[in-house]
Amino acid sequence: MNRKRINPAVLVIIMLGIGLQITFAHSVFTNIGVIIITCLYLSYCKTSSKLLILTSLYAFPLALGSWWSFIAFGTGDVWHIAWIYASRVYAYLYLGAIVTLTVPIKDILLSLALHLNLSSTFVYGLLASFNLLGRIKSQYKTIRYSAMMRGTTYHFWNPNLYLRIIIVALNWSQDLAEAMTSQGFTEGAQRTLTYKDNLPKWQWGLAALLILLYFIFSFLVRPW
Amino acid sequence: MQTVDHTKKGWSVKDVIFLAIIAIFFGIIYQVWSFAYYAIAATPLKPYANDLTLGVWIMAGPLAGVLLKKVGASVVGELLAAAVEMLLFSSWGASTLISGFVQGIGNELGFAATGYKNWGKLGLLLSTIGSTIITFIWDWFQSGYSAYHVGLLLSLFIIRFISIGFFSGILVYWIKKLVDKSGLIK
Repeated sequence: MNRKRINPAVLVIIMLGIGLQITFAHSVFTNIGVIIITCLYLSYCKTSSKLLILTSLYAFPLALGSWWSFIAFGTGDVWHIAWIYASRVYAYLYLGAIVTLTVPIKDILLSLALHLNLSSTFVYGLLASFNLLGRIKSQYKTIRYSAMMRGTTYHFWNPNLYLRIIIVALNWSQDLAEAMTSQGFTEGAQRTLTYKDNLPKWQWGLAALLILLYFIFSFLVRPW
Repeated sequence: MQTVDHTKKGWSVKDVIFLAIIAIFFGIIYQVWSFAYYAIAATPLKPYANDLTLGVWIMAGPLAGVLLKKVGASVVGELLAAAVEMLLFSSWGASTLISGFVQGIGNELGFAATGYKNWGKLGLLLSTIGSTIITFIWDWFQSGYSAYHVGLLLSLFIIRFISIGFFSGILVYWIKKLVDKSGLIK
């Protein structure tokens, strides 16, 4: 359980630093490199393999569609292009997974607040809302059922659906924000930290190294 | 002890929670919606699926803009929706957050062009134009649109504008009118 892990803030930096570059890179090999390295880290973190297989399957239509569309409508070296964009789907997927599947949401947000100065208003506001996830899901059903009882179906292009959503969001955000301030939450104030979050310096070095390596391979070496 | 500063103009925790709750609702709508997307996306028609459905993914940004009427509301709104999506629902992984940011910027540019004075028809029209152009440029690189035939690109651009125009323009305008009529937000 207590294996050493990369700090979530560093993972986010790696994800964005490499993710942005992937958009402009044209190489199947570097995409595969990203896939291999991220999958190694995921297995090191003992991420549930069932979950990984499920997300991989879920992304398969996207990869297949990308691949096929270039074969059908592409210009130039369509086979190369098709494989670039198909592998890119998975490079993005696992790059996201090293953040979202290895660390709980709460740890990601707190680490971002601590190490990257994300404002506490956003961190705690987001945390408060994520705790409502279950209630929001059932509320969505309630909104649709109550409309059905009045003989209307709320399709997602019906503005009334969004009005209901906005009303709920307004009420709940008001209540939650008041609850938080009455419990002593002050926006922008100095906070007492009740959790420990270690970030050894070498991890920043690791992030910089990985981002730089990716840059060198994708834009200077440029393998197939 | 005074813990709430009512004169503050920036982002309050209430705004953040408000947008995040809307973003989670959007996440649920996206999940239902993505079945239709996946059905087309698994075929060579994937670029059509992208552009046809893009308006729905983008809606959260302009909606946040017209509801909060703040500088940066569209970017933050869209970024929050993307963050929620990435953390809870997504199969796009890392690109979710980056795309969300880019889409938000597109919408934001439209509102900025009116000097953040018009949050009605003109602001929304410019915001839809802004996000159509910016997201198209983005897909030129990210989704490899640079490699498609010109004919396909033209039709994609038009489809994209119609999708964004309807969902992020007309539908958001209708929602705004309903909200204004109800007097919920002053």
